[in-house]
Amino acid sequence: MAGSSEAPRRRAAVLAPPEPAPPKSEPEPVKKPAAPLPFLLDFFPLEDEKNTRLAAFFRNLKEGRLTTTKCRSDGTLAWPPRVVCPQCHQADLDWVDLPMVGRIYAFSAVLMGAPLGMESEVPFVVGLVDIPDVPFRLFGRIVGTPWEQCHVGQKVRAEPYELPDGRVFYRFRTVG
Amino acid sequence: MSFGRGVALVGGATTKFGVRAATWAELAQEAGGALFRAVPALTRADVDSLFVGAAEPERFAFQSHVAPFAAEQMGLAPRRVIQRTELACASGQSAIRSAYAAIASGLSDVAVAVGVEKMNIPSMAEANTSMGCVMDRAWDGAHGATAPPFFAMVAQRHQLEYGTSDDALAAVSEKNHRFANSNPNAQFFDKTFDRAKLGRLPVVAPPLRLGDCSSMTDGAAAVVLVADELATKYTKTPVRVAGTGQYADFHNLANAGSLTDWVGLRHAAGEAFRSAGIGPKDLDFAEMHDCFTISEIVEYEAIGLCPPGAGGQYVLDGRSSLGGDVVVNTRGGLLGCGHPLGATGIAQAVEVFDQFEGRVPAARQVPDPHWALVHNLSGSANVHSVMIYEGAS
Repeated sequence: MAGSSEAPRRRAAVLAPPEPAPPKSEPEPVKKPAAPLPFLLDFFPLEDEKNTRLAAFFRNLKEGRLTTTKCRSDGTLAWPPRVVCPQCHQADLDWVDLPMVGRIYAFSAVLMGAPLGMESEVPFVVGLVDIPDVPFRLFGRIVGTPWEQCHVGQKVRAEPYELPDGRVFYRFRTVG
Repeated sequence: MSFGRGVALVGGATTKFGVRAATWAELAQEAGGALFRAVPALTRADVDSLFVGAAEPERFAFQSHVAPFAAEQMGLAPRRVIQRTELACASGQSAIRSAYAAIASGLSDVAVAVGVEKMNIPSMAEANTSMGCVMDRAWDGAHGATAPPFFAMVAQRHQLEYGTSDDALAAVSEKNHRFANSNPNAQFFDKTFDRAKLGRLPVVAPPLRLGDCSSMTDGAAAVVLVADELATKYTKTPVRVAGTGQYADFHNLANAGSLTDWVGLRHAAGEAFRSAGIGPKDLDFAEMHDCFTISEIVEYEAIGLCPPGAGGQYVLDGRSSLGGDVVVNTRGGLLGCGHPLGATGIAQAVEVFDQFEGRVPAARQVPDPHWALVHNLSGSANVHSVMIYEGAS
């Protein structure tokens, strides 16, 4: 799979720097409405230890690291992260860092028909991103460039962002 | 067929598809009424099993346990098998496939497969959320993934890799909408779209415009399948279930591999052709899952009607129109009929039966058909379901 070879692996390098207010033409960063959605209308996962065995993913993400699980037994790197290896079915998995920089493989934009809570973010860009040295792509929201100016092959960097209730998720920001 | 005893499709009917002033329950009643009118020899007591294709009744109609719910609406009391089948956009074909398996195994003799979906609800944003949870909702849906941006990426890659034009996409929509003009039950029966008009519609998810996308639709449809030896009790033109295949190869978008080579469909269609003992060249017509225009183009290629990358030219050359090689989506497709998720696969089978019986309007009748294929994808084209039917003549 094609991808950039310049992915930083150090934690410090991947923390999103403080951002100036974006120019008017730029898509707004993802915002959630102040009022929380009912649980069964909220796409974002519950991320604490009481609710998931993948809480480490979200702790790592808060530190600026995009991580997934790798099987200690057969080396399988899976996405999304797992509690059981999908190949050998062992449960002995390590958290490993993923490359944070990749290139857009395909993208589109949602100009209408957004889900509840995302209507105010329209238009927004989503895309599949090639990242080096892994057997999958990553899908996510892409910010930083209006959809009309995005292109296949464009360099993007993964970054965490915080939801109003303190949960954290990841997205991609165009680089350069 | 190498599996169990023979199974025949002996009739079916659909409701009007569209934005309906009707509830889920009312649509199920309409489908039951239409089925018993279409197959006069069928009695309520004959029906020993019911399979209910319904993708998201919990989300759209706040109703679970819909199999007995539908049975009551239709006046049925199944005594052998009663179950719901859920496979998102392929829930309807899944019901037919399950009915087929039950009859082939001897568990059922006379089974109804009904598909019902109510999708137009007061909050369309909630409806869009429901469509988003067809994806891996925590890891894909949370980014805002629904069907249009996913299939838009398929279109983008197909355009990039093969030079497929927006005009080729529009040609699929134009063809299927034209067929829908001969189908009074289609959502867009009375709407005409040519390529120029389609090209002026608003963009939903670039490069896809409104006319490239199937609709959120309310509708229901029902068919009856029986053991071969019972078929002539119900119709003079039984349609044999000749082959079937299915394949699921990923779910999360990260694991999709190529967006333009639908490996799962090649597997599913290959298995269906093998089990029927025919190949793509033998087909007379096909009902394919044109949830988006690009889907039909990629499907021509994966099913084997044309080489990889040639799907756009295939439709532009009229090879999937009447008079072409394999006539695709005479019913009007999902683009022209609308796409009530659970009902779509059943309505496609109704079209297959009606085509073989020779009773559809001349504007869409395939001359002397013998072999037909039905395809549904579901989700992000990560599951493919294929059935092959053989007409009596």
